Amino acid sequence: MTADGTASGAGLTIEGLRKWYGDTRALDGLDLRAAPGQILGVAGPNGAGKSTLIKIIAGETGPDEGEITFGGSLWDPRVDPGRVAVVHQEPQLFPNLTVAQNLMVGREGTRLVTREIDPAERELMADLAILVYAGRPLGEVPLAIQQRVEIGRALARDARIFLFDEPNSALTQEESLDLFRRMHLLADAGRVVVLVSHRIAELAEHADRVALILDGRCTTILTGEDVSQENIAAGLVTGQAEREVDAHVRGAIGEDAASALRLSGWTHAGGEFDGIDLRGRVGEVVAIVGVEGSGARELVRSIAGFERATGTIEIAGRAGGRAVVSGTGLVSADRQTSLFANLTVAENMVVRLGREITAAAGALRPGRMLKIARDLRDRFQVRTDSVEVPIRSLSGGNQQKVAIAAAMVRRPPVLVLEEPTRGVDLGSKREIYRLMREYAGEGHALVIFCTEVPEVFEAADIAYVVSDGRLSPPLLVADYPDVEALARSVTRLERHSRPTHEMLPASA
Amino acid sequence: MAQNSAGAPVPAAGSARSRWSGRARAAGLRIGGLLIAILIVIVVFTFLSKPNTFLTITNFLGVLRSMSTIAIVALGLTLVIVVGEIDLSFGYMYGLASILIGVSWIVWGWPIWLALILPFVAAIALGSINSFLVTVLRIPSFIVTLGTGQLVFGTTLLVSNTATLNPAYPPAGKVVPTGEVEWFFGLSNQDLPLGIPMQALWMTAVAIIIGFVLSRSLFGFRLKAIGGNPAAAELARLPIVKYKFAAFILCSLLASLAAMLDFAFIGSVQPNAGVGLLFPVFAAVIIGGASLAGGRGTAIGTLSGALLLAIIANGLALLSAGSYLSNFVSGAVTIAAVVLDRFTQSLRK
Repeated sequence: MTADGTASGAGLTIEGLRKWYGDTRALDGLDLRAAPGQILGVAGPNGAGKSTLIKIIAGETGPDEGEITFGGSLWDPRVDPGRVAVVHQEPQLFPNLTVAQNLMVGREGTRLVTREIDPAERELMADLAILVYAGRPLGEVPLAIQQRVEIGRALARDARIFLFDEPNSALTQEESLDLFRRMHLLADAGRVVVLVSHRIAELAEHADRVALILDGRCTTILTGEDVSQENIAAGLVTGQAEREVDAHVRGAIGEDAASALRLSGWTHAGGEFDGIDLRGRVGEVVAIVGVEGSGARELVRSIAGFERATGTIEIAGRAGGRAVVSGTGLVSADRQTSLFANLTVAENMVVRLGREITAAAGALRPGRMLKIARDLRDRFQVRTDSVEVPIRSLSGGNQQKVAIAAAMVRRPPVLVLEEPTRGVDLGSKREIYRLMREYAGEGHALVIFCTEVPEVFEAADIAYVVSDGRLSPPLLVADYPDVEALARSVTRLERHSRPTHEMLPASA
Repeated sequence: MAQNSAGAPVPAAGSARSRWSGRARAAGLRIGGLLIAILIVIVVFTFLSKPNTFLTITNFLGVLRSMSTIAIVALGLTLVIVVGEIDLSFGYMYGLASILIGVSWIVWGWPIWLALILPFVAAIALGSINSFLVTVLRIPSFIVTLGTGQLVFGTTLLVSNTATLNPAYPPAGKVVPTGEVEWFFGLSNQDLPLGIPMQALWMTAVAIIIGFVLSRSLFGFRLKAIGGNPAAAELARLPIVKYKFAAFILCSLLASLAAMLDFAFIGSVQPNAGVGLLFPVFAAVIIGGASLAGGRGTAIGTLSGALLLAIIANGLALLSAGSYLSNFVSGAVTIAAVVLDRFTQSLRK
């Protein structure tokens, strides 16, 4: 870390940052240094601590331990947040005010009456190419312009640190290029620029140094020649997966196995994916991999009928909307939408059932509900003595097991899981993978949406990479000896369908 | 209520402390707290009122009758609240129902059985319109029912010609068969043993049915799930549209039933009947512990809420306290119930 050419004292230095949320450790002694004039890339899997780090630098929350210095002196972002500007995917501005008013909010001076924009602000808007939008309400201008307004606000108050948090996941290719150009300009002007992104290709392209964050610590710093997609991808997954299921178990699904799922010419109504052909066999776990905005999430949700798409879909040999409704089940990535906080563990487990838990006249059978729930608890190893406690009293991992159990209990031929182990501890992860494997083995197919390669490596038989709405050729997970090799392949496939980034002129 | 065992934290995963569900315990506490509040109010009024006026069987039966209208309508509203919606039109439905009975029977000369079907048809229509606008066109139910309520009220004024109707004094040239009048009044006015009011029996029957629906039926279970988390309910493929239709229709039907029973008891109808129901009905549901955010509500709670309000109104009337005091107290009690709720919930965390 000291060999990165950063002059000590200048720029942003973070040392020994620790942060707990209850029993969960979000940051575990994180060290990081960002020099002025450089773009520091930050990458890490979900739950590694990136968002906590961003929140601390932005002054939204404080660390439990550790210190931050800026320009050689101690800096508390909560006390002095003006130095830092965070540019989010969704700008946090005032959509009802005009672009010019947004630029001035908070600096109107002491007068109650509104003032005109001053020449400096006019120049700033011209620099950012937003002057033509000055009088338009912010909510009506494109997202890319809104982000520039956010940058402008920070420049107007002379912020020194610019933190970009997945800034371009909702931007077009061209808008992204423009944003990266501005990042380079900010860095060239001596500002500290930090880019947090899932998109490995862009980090390799634009960052001078890349910090990899795993389990709340900065594990690797790549500098100079070492900043490459392969190195980032491999560094992110090292030691992150161990194969639980033997390779031969996965290879055992023959070509002749029956299809549980078939898509052809499958095209999203909103244009997120286009002309997808896909087959999922009985007994198979199919991973759909892709970053946010690639169309992977929409593809997976469309299989369960929760995104509109056209083309042919066949579930267990039956085609059409009815087959989707009766033949699929979805567990969303967010437990806010997969569980019912006002219900108990048992009620959450049986909420998708109907006839199975009712007697004559629509009366519930509480005894039967409890029996089903207790059986599921034992099978899914949900850690709770009573199934009649509120769902909120369980840990995140156990809640996730309940959400998956609730979908499996109806035994749909095709079970769709979005990021099945997001925010789940290691032990629960293993159990969830085991349950998925078991369910596949009982004659079903699973389709999982993954953003992390280790999950693909541990859980899936076959993986497809989606980028820009198109499906890659299949990757047979059993062919890969280790997770690093799989990560390299996935990264290569994500890159290959993004030729425009290769053509980008270096810091224009 | 506050110093009760509500303070016990939710058991952590793996602990064996909880013998029964947290939600059942919370609901139990809520009802327990309400019953304590009712007892306190009874004791207070017993001491304040003249001897042998408040704490008598006759007065208690009077309270039961006076609460029954609010309770029946509130039980219907509870279904709508549990599924996470709001209905502001039930009071106007009540008014329309009584006028429809009166006009079709007394003015148009329909036989009573047909005249009694009409308001329920209207209720199904209103409930369907409300839920159609809410579920299909996705307009917030507050706005929908604010609007349909006025449409219904306008219809009531139009149909009734803003006149009061009484079968004993039909308009000139109209005759109402006495047998029909007797039978109709008998729906609410019967000589029952011990002087038990007929309307209280109706209320009990409705409460038992709604109680079963909410706590023992698949319908009620799913109603709570949908109200508790509509997004999750959609992903779980619960029949959201169908259930919201049912909730709105049942709410309107029960408002019509209450209107019919009141007409039979009072003996006459006016077009503005039901306009004053909005506050006490909502108050009963809220005091009863239903959450306006959806997913929570019980029949016994709503019933207790209506009982508390009725006792307060009765006690204050016996003290000749003047109507403004009654407004003060019922408003304060409603807010206090929610404040106490928040308090016990924060203790539980």
